[in-house]
Amino acid sequence: MASQNQDPAAAASSSAAALKANESGNSATRGSVSKRLQQELMTLMMSGDKGISAFPESDNLFKWIGTIDGPQATVYEGLRYRLSLEFPAGYPYQAPRVKFVTPCFHPNVDDQGFICLDILKDKWSALYDVRSILLSVQSLLGEPNNESPLNTTAAELWADQGAYKAHLQSTFQK
Amino acid sequence: MEADSVPVSGPALRMSVAAAWDKVAAALVSPGCLQEEQGLLDSLVLLGDHGLDQLLGSWLLETLQMCLSSSVVPEFWSGLKQPENELEERDRALVLLAAFRTLLDRLQPSLDGLEQLGIWQEEGRGGLSGLGPRSLKERAVTIIRSLLLFSPDPILQERVLEFYSRTFSVYMSQQGEQEERGNDSPEGRLCQGCEVLTAQCWCQEALEHLQELSHILSKLQLLERVSSESVTSILHKLMEQRMERHCRGEYECSFLVNFQEWLELVLGWLSKVFDSEADADAPTSTPGAAGDQSRGCSSSSSILKQWRCHMQQFFCRIYVNMRIEELFSIITDFPESKAAIEDLKFCLERTNQRQQLITSLKSAFESRLLHPGVHTSDILTVYISAIKALRELDPSMVILQVACQPIRKYLRTREDTVRQIVAGLTGDPEGCTDLASELSRGDPVTLEMQDSDEEGNDPEDWTPDPTDAVPEKLGWKRRSSDIISLLVSIYGSKDIFIDEYRAVLADRLLHQVNYNTAREIRNVELLKLRFGESHMHYCEVMLKDMADSRRINGNIREEEAKLGEQEQPLQFLSAIILSSEFWPPLKEEKLELPPPVSQAMETYTNRYQKLKAMRTLSWKPHLGSVTLDVELEDRVLTNLTVSPIHAAIILHFQEKSSWTLEELSVKLGAPKELVHRKIAMWQQQLGVLREEAGGRYCVVERGSAKEKPERGVMLIDSDEERDSNTTTQSEQREEKLQLFWAYIQAMLTNLDSMTLDRIHSMLRMFVATGPVVTEMDVNELEAFLQRKVREHQLMVSAGVYRLPKSS
Repeated sequence: MASQNQDPAAAASSSAAALKANESGNSATRGSVSKRLQQELMTLMMSGDKGISAFPESDNLFKWIGTIDGPQATVYEGLRYRLSLEFPAGYPYQAPRVKFVTPCFHPNVDDQGFICLDILKDKWSALYDVRSILLSVQSLLGEPNNESPLNTTAAELWADQGAYKAHLQSTFQK
Repeated sequence: MEADSVPVSGPALRMSVAAAWDKVAAALVSPGCLQEEQGLLDSLVLLGDHGLDQLLGSWLLETLQMCLSSSVVPEFWSGLKQPENELEERDRALVLLAAFRTLLDRLQPSLDGLEQLGIWQEEGRGGLSGLGPRSLKERAVTIIRSLLLFSPDPILQERVLEFYSRTFSVYMSQQGEQEERGNDSPEGRLCQGCEVLTAQCWCQEALEHLQELSHILSKLQLLERVSSESVTSILHKLMEQRMERHCRGEYECSFLVNFQEWLELVLGWLSKVFDSEADADAPTSTPGAAGDQSRGCSSSSSILKQWRCHMQQFFCRIYVNMRIEELFSIITDFPESKAAIEDLKFCLERTNQRQQLITSLKSAFESRLLHPGVHTSDILTVYISAIKALRELDPSMVILQVACQPIRKYLRTREDTVRQIVAGLTGDPEGCTDLASELSRGDPVTLEMQDSDEEGNDPEDWTPDPTDAVPEKLGWKRRSSDIISLLVSIYGSKDIFIDEYRAVLADRLLHQVNYNTAREIRNVELLKLRFGESHMHYCEVMLKDMADSRRINGNIREEEAKLGEQEQPLQFLSAIILSSEFWPPLKEEKLELPPPVSQAMETYTNRYQKLKAMRTLSWKPHLGSVTLDVELEDRVLTNLTVSPIHAAIILHFQEKSSWTLEELSVKLGAPKELVHRKIAMWQQQLGVLREEAGGRYCVVERGSAKEKPERGVMLIDSDEERDSNTTTQSEQREEKLQLFWAYIQAMLTNLDSMTLDRIHSMLRMFVATGPVVTEMDVNELEAFLQRKVREHQLMVSAGVYRLPKSS
């Protein structure tokens, strides 16, 4: 799946060169990326999902702010987290950079806000979009992957949901 | 002067200087008593010897001045005011004339004396030298003018004005200018000119007076001073009156030629007033003054020329002024008012009032047209007239473009604009009728010309844009005069019109029962010429659907005919088969049809599947129409054409004569409100059903005689709501607002708080606009946000919007 979704241009040239080309952001691809992002924004707006939301930060379509409400019936219920999403020029063939802006105490989130989530790394596919990313991150909050924790304290505490929740509540800062 | 031989040769008599002075003075002041030539000459020489000859001129002027200020001027004014009591107009004219006559009489001696002296000086008689007659006279005239008119009494202007007005009307009546006045009462036959009984007519006298007065005035060179103002005001007043009487409200005939003829008459009169200058000069001119005379002539004709220019200019200005006021009415009267437009065009080119015209027309549109009380189709009609009229008026289209901007802007805010235009284009009687003819008129060749770079005009005919043109990148090619292009461009894109037309077409086609599409085909063909083949593709498919449906229907009927008697299904179903991709979104409503009908539909589907392999039908049971008869105990309602839900409702009453709303709603699978609305027709309009206690409806088998509805063919097409099958504009608008609201919520969720401007620019940046989702302007947005604030879905403080905490 992943291989199918590679940028044909990037696949043809060496990956380093492709990366460079993407960094420089050639205007034609940028235009089509903008179009895709605008379309994604539209989809997100039309979907009307509760608890997730995102919007371009300013007039730059490549940098968004996202908002996730902690999923219901989990320790995160009632908490609201801000994220930042940055889209590379090679999007959607490259994954966007997503991190928490609000400090998040979670086994798979480090103290810088970086998220360890497969679909944002090696499992990324061009079929994903902002909406699916937000939904994945939201569900990650309730279902952490304790096998490979970034935050070991959180991973250890997870077993005791009551203490975990108390810790969350006491440390949560907007 | 000393070299002069004649006088020095021998003064016969030695005279005292005083005596010589007296003699010369007498000769100058009272030319009547002729002195013998030699004595006069001697005296002149004597005076010359003593260097006194230079003083003669000054002395004469001094005398003139003394005489003027001490007696002549006071006498003139008192003479003018003399008869304090009311006088007849005719006598007032005489008084005026008499005053001037006296004035001239009094001044004549001095003037003659000056003239005499001037002649002597010119001839160098007796060694005399000086300024010559011309400049002496000029000085004298200056003195007279300044002393006489130093503090003029208003009575002079008044009298002069009256006098000129009178002579003017006398002149005009003699020239056969018939003013239509209702003065033909038998007992008082009035003279056209002097407006007194014909027996006492003094027309001729008045003209003679005019000539005399002009003569005197020109002699004293007072003509310009005394007359110009009066003449100007008379002419202006008359022209205005004339225009009020003839032109105001009268747009259907040209006034220019008429005015030119009138102007010639007026000039005839003016020549009587001013031309006498030349006549006056002629008899008194000295032989050497042939040049003067020709100069006098040319000056009087140049005066007339000036007057002609002045009058024309004035005419143009007041004409334009009046038409500017009336332009709105002229536009609404177009094309009947074409003559007025042409006149206005002529005059407007000669005055610089374009700006005034544009401003006034704009405000006329705004105050008279662009308010909620005016129906959209009326606005469109006026707009179309304006296009037609203004393109006559200003072929560069600048006036049209600038003045109609408010209309276009306003039309954009009307919800039914597009619908009205499309209705007009397709010849809907409710729309503007002009449009349909405009559509069929447009021939493709000229339309293509407009689009192409080749303007097809002779470069020689090119004229630059007027200075008030709005600078535009695309130049005047964009300033189209084509009505349909202008209307379509109100919204900037033709897609929205084509979509609307599709909706209208869909409605029309769906209401058809006999697949008759001739008119629609014609319209689509015409629109194709306008908008291009590709844009009308969907509509063509729709029309083809109709043709195909008719064929398929025919085939299925044939199939059915082959079946045996008992197997034959109900002969009532014919279908219109739509290619749904190409039709506008149809309203979705749920409706369970009664079993016999749905069975028939199923059979129909099966037959269709046999005809078209791999395809099936998906029915829209709520669309279409049903023709049925209702048989009741005492009456039969035949040939009712109703909508399927109406039919379904009444069909259920066939099996059971009493239903509650709930039961019906369940049976029909339709919401209760809808059923309630639809049932109203059977209940109120037709009296077939009635509501009983407990919300039950039952059949009225016996109608009371008086509320028997009309029998026969009845076409019940729609009930209270607009019965369109496609989504309406207001629904579209609601959809658009919903979408915008989603964006606004999202941006406020993520970016916390924002100002109106920021929200607006974000929306502009990120909402993909299309034919349905058009941009929202700031005001509209603000109103929308205010609404949300009122509904507590939004908070605002210090101009910053945010979402309420709880959400």
